[in-house]
Amino acid sequence: MSASALATLAALPPGLVWQADRLARPAEAGMPTGFAALDAQLPGGGWPRGALIELLGDAPGIGELGLLLPMLRAATAAAERWIAWIAPPHLPYAPALAAAGIPLERLLLLTPDDHAETLWAIRQALASGGCEVVLAWLARADTAALRRLQLAAEESATPLFLFRPAAAAIQSSPASLRLRLVPTTDALTLDILKRRGPALAAPIRLTIPDRPTPPSRALDPTHDALVCADPPRFAVAGIHARRG
Amino acid sequence: MDDPGTLAVVEHHPRARIVAATAEALVRGVEPGRSVAGALAVAPQLQLRDRDFVLEAATLDECATWAGQFTPCVSLDPPDTILLETSASLRLFGGLDALARRIAEALIPLGLDASIAAAPTPLAARWLARTSAGKLMRASKGWARSLDALPVDLLADGGTVSTPTLELLRDIGVRRIGDVVRLPRDGLARRQATAVIDTLARARGEQPDPRPWFIPAERFESRIVLPASVERTEPLLFAAGRLFSGLTAWLAARHAALDRCRLYLEHEDVPETLLEIVTGRPGRDEARLALLAREHLAALTLPAPVEALRLSAEAPATLPARTPDLFGDPETARDSATLLLDRLRARLGPDAVRTVLPVAEHRPERAWRPAEPGSRPARGASGSGPRPLWLMDEPRALGSMRAFTLLSGPERIESGWWDGDDVRRDYYVARAPDAVLCWVFERLDPPGGWYVHGFFG
Repeated sequence: MSASALATLAALPPGLVWQADRLARPAEAGMPTGFAALDAQLPGGGWPRGALIELLGDAPGIGELGLLLPMLRAATAAAERWIAWIAPPHLPYAPALAAAGIPLERLLLLTPDDHAETLWAIRQALASGGCEVVLAWLARADTAALRRLQLAAEESATPLFLFRPAAAAIQSSPASLRLRLVPTTDALTLDILKRRGPALAAPIRLTIPDRPTPPSRALDPTHDALVCADPPRFAVAGIHARRG
Repeated sequence: MDDPGTLAVVEHHPRARIVAATAEALVRGVEPGRSVAGALAVAPQLQLRDRDFVLEAATLDECATWAGQFTPCVSLDPPDTILLETSASLRLFGGLDALARRIAEALIPLGLDASIAAAPTPLAARWLARTSAGKLMRASKGWARSLDALPVDLLADGGTVSTPTLELLRDIGVRRIGDVVRLPRDGLARRQATAVIDTLARARGEQPDPRPWFIPAERFESRIVLPASVERTEPLLFAAGRLFSGLTAWLAARHAALDRCRLYLEHEDVPETLLEIVTGRPGRDEARLALLAREHLAALTLPAPVEALRLSAEAPATLPARTPDLFGDPETARDSATLLLDRLRARLGPDAVRTVLPVAEHRPERAWRPAEPGSRPARGASGSGPRPLWLMDEPRALGSMRAFTLLSGPERIESGWWDGDDVRRDYYVARAPDAVLCWVFERLDPPGGWYVHGFFG
C-alpha cells in the first residue's frame, strides 16, 4: 500500500474502515472475560455481546466452564433473564455451581432428546431475548445451521457459547470468534482460531482460578495426608452401625 | 374454516321451511322462508341441517360472554340478539363508529356474522339491526321520528304485541310504525291493543325498558364441532383459536387472568386427547395460548382424527392493572423469559426444562435435585472439599489408576447406612493423561476399585 493511501486511511474516522492487521473495535464493548490476557486479545475487550462464540475442545473437564465462570457471575448479577445450558454432556453439579457463585435460580437446564430439538431449543433461547447467555453443546453442526445460529445471536444481541469437539476446527464456520481449548498440566491454553483481527502469534495460557489448584508435587495415595494442603475432611453422618 | 358449500338450516315446526342459508345457497335462490320442497327444486345439491335451538342458545351465551370485553352491561335478547349498553364504553373505544367497527372485526375470528345497529333504546336498536344493519342512531332531539319509516311487523319482534293484534293493524291499513303513532291512543286501548302502545313507548324511550344483565359463567367451557374429521395441525389450530378468543374475552369481561387451561381433542372411537396448556404466569393473551397449543400439537401424535374441540378453564385470578411505561417496560425482560420457558416446556416436556439445586447431603449423587427453573436454592452452603462442575450420571469404573496423577485428597465420604444405599468412598482430584481434571474415588467396601465420578470443567 502506498504512503498516500495509508495517510488517507489514517485520516478516516476510527471505526469506519477496519484494517485487517488491527483488532476490530465493535460499537459495543464486550463482556469482560475475567482474564486480562484474554481481554487484551479480543475485539471489544471481552466476549462479544451478540455473537456465536465457538469453543473447541475434546473432553469435558479441561477448564472450559472455569473459563466462563467470571463472565457468568458478572452477567447474571442483576438481570431477570436465564443462563441457558442446552444439551450439556454431563449433569451440571449444583453444589459446585453454587460454590462458584452462579445464581441457580437463573439457570435453565435443557436436555432435548435429539439433535433437531437441540437446534430448535438454541434458536428459541436466542430469539426470545429471554436469555442473558446461552451455552450449548453440539457434537455436529453444518455451516448452514451455524450461520442461522450466528444470525439469531446477532439479532437478539445474546451471546451463544457453542462447545464443539476439537475436530470441528478444520470445518469453516461463520462464528465471529473461535477458540481452541487445549489443556496442559497446570493451565488452559487458548488458541484463537478466528477473531476480527490479525492472527494470534502465540496461544494464550490461562490459569483457571475456579479449578482445584494442584499442589507442587503429586500425591502418593499412600501418603496423602502429608502432602495435601487442605486437611482431609470426613463427612460423617451419625454413628455408623458397622456391618459384617 | 372449510367452505360449508350449499347449506341451509331447516325448521320443521310449524311447517318445514328454510330458516337460514349460506351465501352460496342464497345465490341459487334458497331464501329464508321458502319451503323445503321449493328450495330443493331450485338447488338440488342443497344440504339440509335441522335447526338446533340448544346450540343456538349456547352460541348466544358464548357470544354474550365474549361481548363482555366491550361493556360490562350485556343483555341477552333471545332468540338471536345481544344488547350491549355502550354509553360508558364509547370514550374508551373512540366513539360509536369505532366501537361498531371493532366489534364487527372481532367477530370474524369467531366465525360469526352479525348485523350491528345502535339506538338510544334497546328495542329500537333491535329493530334497526333487523331492518337496516349498520345504522348507528344517536340520541338527539326527535330521533324517535326516524323509527316511523320501519315496517309495522317489527312490533311483534321483541315486543309483547300478539299476532292477532298485528293482523288487526294490517287490516286497518297500517303499514309502518309511523302510521301506528298517528292512531288515537284511546282507540287502540279500547281494542285490547295496549301492548302496542306499551311497545311503542318503550321503543321511543317514553317508558323505561330495563333489561336483566347477562352474568358470565363461573367457569369457561366451550366446544366446537369440526365440520369434518381433522388430522392436520393447521385446521385444529384455527378452530382452537376461536376457542381461545372466546376464553380471552371471558377473562377480559371478568378482569381476570389464567395460567392454565385444558384443550380436549375429541375423537370418534378412542378416548379424547387432553392438552394441558400451562402458561408461566397469569395472563389472557390469545396469541400466547395459540403459540403454546401449536407447540403441544407439534409434539403430539393423534391417535385418531379429531371430531370436536373442547376448551375448559376455571378459577381465574384477578389480573393487576398494568400501566405502560414511557421508557421501556421493565416487565418485558421478565415476560420474554417466562414466554421462553412456556414454549420450551410445551415442546420438550417439563422434565427436559429445569434447574438444579444443591441438597444438604453427603453422598454426591444425592447432593443435588432437579427443580422448577427459577427456584431459589436454600441458603447456607455446606463446607466440603472440591466439587466438580460436571457430575456423571453413574460413576464409571476405571481399569487402573496408573495413568492418573492424584492431586488432592482423600475426602472420606461415608454416609447413608440408614437407607440401605450406603457409600464408603475416598474421593481424590486426579489428572488424567489428557490433562482432564477428574473427580475419582476409591470404593472402600468390597469389591473396591477406582471410579471416576465427575470432571472439573
